[in-house]
Amino acid sequence: MKLLLHHWLQRWRMPEMRLLLLALTVSVTVVTAVGFFTSRVENAMQAQARQLLGGDLVLSSARPLDDAYLQRGQQLGLETAQTISFPSMAASGDKLQLSQLKAVSSAYPLRGELKTAAAPDAPEQASTGQLPARGEIWAEARLFAELGVKAGEQVQLGRSTFKLARVLTQEPDRSSNLFQLAPVVLMNLDDLPATELLSPASRARFNQLFAGEEKLVKQLQQELELKLKPTERIRTLEEDLSSVQQTLQRSGRFLGLATLLSVVLAGAAVVLTSSSLMRRELPAVAVLKAMGMSRRQVLRDHAFSLLLTALLAALAGVALGFVLQFGLAEWLSQFVGKDLPAPSSAPALSGLLTAIILLLGFALPQLLRLVNTSPMQILQGTLQRPRQSVWLVVACLLLAVFGLLWLQSRDLQLAGMLFAGLLAGIGLFWLLAKAFLRLTQVVGRKLHSRWIPSLGRSRRAVLLVVVFATGLFSLLLLTTVRTDLLNRWQETLPPDAPDNFLINIQPAEVKPLEAFLAGHGVKTHLYPMVRGRLVEINGQPVQPEDYENQRAQRLLEREFNLSSFAEFPSSNALLEGKWFKQGETGFSIEKGIGETLSFGMGDKLTFDIAGQRLSDTVTSVREVRWDSMQPNFFVIAAPGSLGDMPSTHITSIHLGEKKAIVTDMIRQFPSVTVIDVAAIVAQVRSLVEQASMAVQGIFVFTLIAGVVVLIAALQSQKAERRREIAILKSLGAGRAELRRRIWGEFLLLGALAGVLAGLLALTAGNLFGYYLFDLDMKLDLMPLLVGGVVGSLLVGVAGFWNLRGLLNVLPMSLLKA
Amino acid sequence: MNNTAIQTDNLVKTIPQAGRDLQILRGVSLSIDSGESVAITGTSGSGKSTLLGLLAGLDLPTSGAVQLFGQHLDGLDEDQRATMRLGKVGFVFQSFHLLENLTALENVMLPLELSTALPPHPGLPPQGGKEQIAREVLQQVGLGERLSHFPNQLSGGEQQRVALARAFVTRPQILFADEPTGNLDRTTGHEIIDLLFALQEKFHTTLVLVTHDDTLAARCQKHYRLEEGMLA
Ligand SMILES: Nc1ncnc2c1ncn2[C@@H]1O[C@H](COP(=O)(O)OP(=O)(O)O)[C@@H](O)[C@H]1O
Ligand SMILES: [Mg+2]
Repeated sequence: MKLLLHHWLQRWRMPEMRLLLLALTVSVTVVTAVGFFTSRVENAMQAQARQLLGGDLVLSSARPLDDAYLQRGQQLGLETAQTISFPSMAASGDKLQLSQLKAVSSAYPLRGELKTAAAPDAPEQASTGQLPARGEIWAEARLFAELGVKAGEQVQLGRSTFKLARVLTQEPDRSSNLFQLAPVVLMNLDDLPATELLSPASRARFNQLFAGEEKLVKQLQQELELKLKPTERIRTLEEDLSSVQQTLQRSGRFLGLATLLSVVLAGAAVVLTSSSLMRRELPAVAVLKAMGMSRRQVLRDHAFSLLLTALLAALAGVALGFVLQFGLAEWLSQFVGKDLPAPSSAPALSGLLTAIILLLGFALPQLLRLVNTSPMQILQGTLQRPRQSVWLVVACLLLAVFGLLWLQSRDLQLAGMLFAGLLAGIGLFWLLAKAFLRLTQVVGRKLHSRWIPSLGRSRRAVLLVVVFATGLFSLLLLTTVRTDLLNRWQETLPPDAPDNFLINIQPAEVKPLEAFLAGHGVKTHLYPMVRGRLVEINGQPVQPEDYENQRAQRLLEREFNLSSFAEFPSSNALLEGKWFKQGETGFSIEKGIGETLSFGMGDKLTFDIAGQRLSDTVTSVREVRWDSMQPNFFVIAAPGSLGDMPSTHITSIHLGEKKAIVTDMIRQFPSVTVIDVAAIVAQVRSLVEQASMAVQGIFVFTLIAGVVVLIAALQSQKAERRREIAILKSLGAGRAELRRRIWGEFLLLGALAGVLAGLLALTAGNLFGYYLFDLDMKLDLMPLLVGGVVGSLLVGVAGFWNLRGLLNVLPMSLLKA
Repeated sequence: MNNTAIQTDNLVKTIPQAGRDLQILRGVSLSIDSGESVAITGTSGSGKSTLLGLLAGLDLPTSGAVQLFGQHLDGLDEDQRATMRLGKVGFVFQSFHLLENLTALENVMLPLELSTALPPHPGLPPQGGKEQIAREVLQQVGLGERLSHFPNQLSGGEQQRVALARAFVTRPQILFADEPTGNLDRTTGHEIIDLLFALQEKFHTTLVLVTHDDTLAARCQKHYRLEEGMLA
C-alpha cells in the first residue's frame, strides 16, 4: 500500500498525470455544481410543498364551491377554511399594480403559518392565528414598492379602500411562486363582496381547506370523491408534492444534460492523456516485468494509481462544484429565491461516479494493454504497443458514455436518444472538420503555401478542430439564440401592437368602457368570454383518463375560454371550412386543440358552461398566432350562441404614450384588470436571460474541457514535435522561424475551429428560430468572427504555451539513441 | 556451489508469418553453471536477444525445454515465470531502459521494492534500509553524487552505471546483459565492462553476456557463437 502510494506520487512527475487530473476535475466540478444547485432548489421546493396546501386536504374549483362540503367536514370534526384568489388591480393615488388577491376565512391557514413584518425592511414575525382585520389588507413587499406606499396608507381594490396594514412575507399555500409575477394581497373574506370584484365569470380559484385526524380526512376524501362535480378537484399533499417534484426533476435534468457535453469532452481528454501515459509507461512496465513483476502487480499498481487520481479529482471537483453552485444560485436568485436550504450530498456521489466511469471507460482499455505488455519487447529494438482489440476499446468507450448519459438523465429511453444524438453530432462534426481542413488544403495550395496543406493532413489536426469547435459551438449557439431570438421576437411585433390586456370586464361595463376608450382615441374591440369544459364529443362523454397525452388531460381538467363574435379575427388564418355567415351556427376551433383532443371538422362538441350545456358542430378550423398580442380563443361559437351565459369581456389595446389613462379607467371600472404586457415581457425576458446565462456558465466549462483536450492532444504529440523541431534546427531553422511556425499553425487551426463552430452555431440558431419561433433566416457574421478570434487566440496561446519549452531542444538530441 | 544455473535442450523459436514461418532459433542446447560467466556472440539478427529472452523466461520456446535454477519453465504461465525471476535475476540492456520519471536512486530501489512481497531469501538484502542499500550500490558504481538526478540528466555511460546498480542491488543469482556497451563509446564501454565483471566476481553472480565484440567475449569463461539460429 505504501509502495503503491509511493509509485503514485512518483507518477506526478509526468505532465500527463496532471492533465488527467485536470480533465477529471473539470467534469466532476461541472456535474456537482449543477447537481448541488438543483438539489438545493429541490429541497426548497419540497419543504415548501409540504406546506403548500395550507391544509391536509383541499377542494379546489374554478367555480364557487357548495357550502355542503364545508358543513360535512365540520360534522366530521375537521377544521375548515375557505380561500378565493384571483388577479386584480390595486391602486394608490395614480399608481396601479396588478396583484394576486387572496381572500381568506378566519381559520386560515389550517397548516403552515403566515409570516409578516411591520414594514418592508422590518424583521419577519410569525403571525400566530392572526389575519387582516376587516378593512385591512396585508401585501407582499413588492406591492409597497410598486405603488410607492408605506404601511398604514390606503390602497384601493375594486369599490373598497383598505388600509395596507402589514407586509406579507410568507404564506403556506402560495400557488407557484416560481413564476408568480403579481404580488399577493391578503384580505378578509368578509370584505370581498363589497369590492364587487368577483363576478361569476372571474378567473378565480375557490378553495375549501380541511385539516384534522388522518382517518377522518381520508373518510371525507372518499365521500367527496363520489360527490364531486367535474370542475372540482381534490388536492392532497402527495399529489402536489409529486407534481412539483416532477417539474423540478425535469428542469434539473435539463441542466444536468447541459453539463454532459463538458463531461464527454473531458472524456476525450482522458482518452488522449491515458493513451500517452501508457506509451510512456510501456518501457517501464516491460522492464519491471523482466525484473519479475507479475501482471497482477502491474494491474494493481496502475489501477490503484488511476483510482486514487479519480478520487483526488472527485474531491477537488466536489469542493469546486460546491463553491460554484453558490454562484449559480446567486445568478438564478430571481427564479428560485434567495434563501435556499443546504444541498443534499447525493451530487457529490454522482461526481465521484462520473470520475470513476470516465476512468474505467476511457482509461481502462489502455491499462489492460499495459498489463499485457510482453517483457520480451525490451530486448527487441523497437517497442511496439501490445495489440489490442479495437472493439474492446470502442465498447468500453461507448459503454462509459452511455453510463454517463444514464447517470445524468436517470432515464433509459432518454439516455438512448441522447446517445444516438451525440454519436450523430460527433460524426457530423468530424466530417465537417475534415471537409473544412480539406478545403484549407486546396486553398493553401492555391496560395502556393507548402505549409498550410501539410497542416490539414494530420489526423490530430482533425481531432483538435473537432474538439475545440464542439466547445466553442455550444457557447456560441447559446449566445446567438439568447440575444438574437429575444431581440428579433420583439422586432416582429409591429409598433402599434397591443401592449395592455384588459380582462374581467363585466357585461354592464362593456358599453361605458368602449365609450371611455374611444373618448381617449384608443381603438378597441371587446370580446365576450365564457369559461367552459368540454364534456362530450359526438355525444360521447370525454374524460381526462381517455387520453394518454398530458396536455390533453390538462385541457379537459380545466375550463378553457370560449368566445363568440361575428368578424373573423385578423391575426388568425382559416385552414378548413368557412367562417360563420349571418344566422349560421357552429364552432370554429383552433388547429392545435383539435389535434390534441382528436376532433375536427363536422364533429359535434358539447361544453358545460357553468352548468348550462352548449352543443354544436365544428364548421371551421383556424391557425392562431399566439404571439400576436390579440385575445385568442381555442373555440369561437357563432355570434349570439352564448345567450345569457355568465360572461366577462376581454380585449387588448395599444396605449403607448397614453399610459396615464389607466388610472382613470380603473377608477371608473374598478373590476377591470389591466395586464401590462410590456412589463411582463420585460420580466420574462430577464428571467430567460438569467436562465440562459446559467446554462452559458455551464457551457464555459465545455470550453474549458475543450482547452484541456487541446492540451492533452498537444501533449500526446510532443515527442513527435520534439523530433521535428530538432530536425528543423539541424537543417538550420532559427528560433524565430520556429516560433513563427508554431504560432502560425495554432492560430490557423484555432481560427478554423472557431469559424466552423460559428458557422454551425449560426445555422443551428437560424433553424431554431425558423422552425420553433417562426422567425426569418438571417445572416449574422458575428458568430463567425467571434468564433474565429476566440478560437485562434485560445488555441494559439495554449499551443504556444505547451510547446514553448521545445524551442530549447538541441539538434544534438537526435544523435542520442 | 557448482550446480547448473541454466540448461536448455534443443530450443526452437519460430515466428508465424504470412506465408512462411520465420525460424529464429533452430535447436539450441547449452548448459551454464552457477557462478560461471558465459558470452553469447553472433552477428546482428542471429537470434542472440531471442535466446537471452528464452533463457530468462521472458518468453517461451516454440519447442525444446529450458531449466532455470533447476526448474522447467514450460507449463509455467507468465506470472509464475516472473515470480521465479523476482530478486534472483538482473538485467542490463543495450539502451539502458531506466524509468524516465524516477531518479537514479529510485530506479535502483525499484527491484528491492518489487521483491518485498516475497519471503526473504539468501540473495536478498535484509528488510528495511532499502534506500541505504541502493545508495551503497550507486556509490560502488561511482554515482554517489548523482542520486537525485533523472535519467535525461545523465550521460549514456552514467545511465548504464545506474542500470548496473539496479541489476546488482538484489544480489541476483544470474545477470543477463544484452549488448551492454552497444550504445557507448569504446572507453566508456570498457569502464562499464570492468565494473560489470568486478561486481559479478564480488557477488558470485552467474553472468550471461550477449555481445558482438569478440575481445569482450574472451573475458568470459565460456563462449557460445550463434550462427543462423544454431550454435557454431
Ligand atoms: N517478434 C518478432 N517478430 C518478427 N521478427 C522477429 C521478432 N523477434 C525477433 N525477430 C527477428 O528474429 C531475428 C533475430 O532477432 P534478435 O534475437 O533480436 O537478433 P540479435 O539480438 O542477435 O540481433 C531478427 O531477424 C528479428 O528481426
Ligand atoms: Mg539484440
